[in-house]
Amino acid sequence: MRKVLAGLMIFIISMIPLHAFAASALDMVKTNANSVLDVLRDPKLKGDAGKKVKEQKIEAAAEKLFDYVELSKRTLGLNWNRLSMDQRKEFVDLFKTLLRNTYIDRITAYTNEKVEFTKEMQLTETTTEVQSVVTKGNTTVPINYRVIKKGNDWMVYDVVIEGVSLISNYRTQFRDILGSNPPQVLIDTLRKRVGK
Amino acid sequence: MMSRRRSAAGQPRRRISLRTMGGLCLTMAFLLCCPLLHAEEGIPELGKITIRDLQDTGDRPASRAAYTMAAGNTSWRGLQATEGERENFSTFAAARQTPPDEYGDVTAEDVGEAGAAAKESADEYGDVAPDSATAAKPQVQIADPLRPFNVAMFHFNDKLYFWMWKPAATGYKYVMPQPFRQLFSNFYRNLTAPVRILNNLFQGKPGYAGEELAKLLINSTVGVGGLRNCAEECFGIKGRNADFGQTLGKWGLGPGFYLVLPFLGPSSPRDGFGFLVDWALRPQTYVGTEFFDYQNVGLFVHEKINSTSFRIGEYEALKKAAVDPYVSMRDIYIQYRTDLIENR
Repeated sequence: MRKVLAGLMIFIISMIPLHAFAASALDMVKTNANSVLDVLRDPKLKGDAGKKVKEQKIEAAAEKLFDYVELSKRTLGLNWNRLSMDQRKEFVDLFKTLLRNTYIDRITAYTNEKVEFTKEMQLTETTTEVQSVVTKGNTTVPINYRVIKKGNDWMVYDVVIEGVSLISNYRTQFRDILGSNPPQVLIDTLRKRVGK
Repeated sequence: MMSRRRSAAGQPRRRISLRTMGGLCLTMAFLLCCPLLHAEEGIPELGKITIRDLQDTGDRPASRAAYTMAAGNTSWRGLQATEGERENFSTFAAARQTPPDEYGDVTAEDVGEAGAAAKESADEYGDVAPDSATAAKPQVQIADPLRPFNVAMFHFNDKLYFWMWKPAATGYKYVMPQPFRQLFSNFYRNLTAPVRILNNLFQGKPGYAGEELAKLLINSTVGVGGLRNCAEECFGIKGRNADFGQTLGKWGLGPGFYLVLPFLGPSSPRDGFGFLVDWALRPQTYVGTEFFDYQNVGLFVHEKINSTSFRIGEYEALKKAAVDPYVSMRDIYIQYRTDLIENR
């Protein structure tokens, strides 16, 4: 009898929808950011070999945290529709490489900054902004992560530093190129830029 | 012995636990059934959902188009590879594996561009509907009618940075220890307190104006003439930056157009005028006999080199991140200034 009841109990509990326990956007970004910070602060990872390990770990974390397709779509805006399917795929790949090359050195250079996640603010039904403050010495920089709900996960599609949105910034630049050129010119420019 | 005692003692306990477990099961089952009961009550609600669902699919023709597009691609590829059926099948399978609309077309809403149109139309008559306010912010942009001049000035300032500011700041950093540079930085900042006090007042923020006034008083006395930022370090008074271009923006004046000023960098007619007003509010200006002379400009150059010595590498990083540095800097300028005016 007792076993039956216990079994019933487990069955009932398992019926409670899982998404009720899905992590909030803030927790999600915080956990990922902290795991990166732990890697960066690891005193064992020094010199060139240590830097390689750091870079690999950061890339793995970024892969989990960033939604590069969403990021690319929002960066190109409606110009996205002008690209062919193959161009879209190449663009996502090139843009990802560009961001990686640009920011990996700056991230590995992080040392004694203090990162504090302050609050989250819902933007639309599916998007949320996670706000954080980075303190180094006596300067503080607000960094906000805009995340979009994908299944059970929150994926970053934009980073806003001191009010400057990363995707808006690239969007303006790409729009400038696409305004008078076909999409292939943008792809070629990016290809040249990342050295592929 | 132990087991016997346990079972003896456990006998009555077991009954209670049976009962409690049964009760718990019933409560849980009841709680879980509640939504079901509720759903049964509100059958018309179900109808609503289906309508909304239909509307939803109507709103998103993009994903469907994407699917047909992917399928079209496959069949086209399939036609090309008619010789091998296997190849044909594998391309089809590959197409099926990627989510159909991941690389598909987007609508303005998907990429957060719809907010712009909605806001523009509502803006004419003042208040913005809460819907469009919470929607993705429309993109901030600035007109650039003087682009050839601005590009020339951008290159001038760029060279100026790499040939003058950067080497000067690097050399200065080498000879001047960090604590001294920090003292200078505090000193100059304390001197420009009138700019922040008045602009905070102009912007209707008397609280921050008071904070800046308190900072001026504390730092000028306890902080030995402003050499130390004691107000913040000892008393935690943060204050708030404010400038006249920002004040004009808060009053509703747009930036006008993009203007790169030689020596000063990205600006606009509004912020350029703001700079002149702030210059007039700086006590340093009155060290000289004229509005601009070698004395007050000289002090400004030292202030600039001093502050650059803390930020060597930042400009390079911004430039390195850009695909088109000129356009990137213009966008950073307008995004940053708009944020200062709208959100801070």
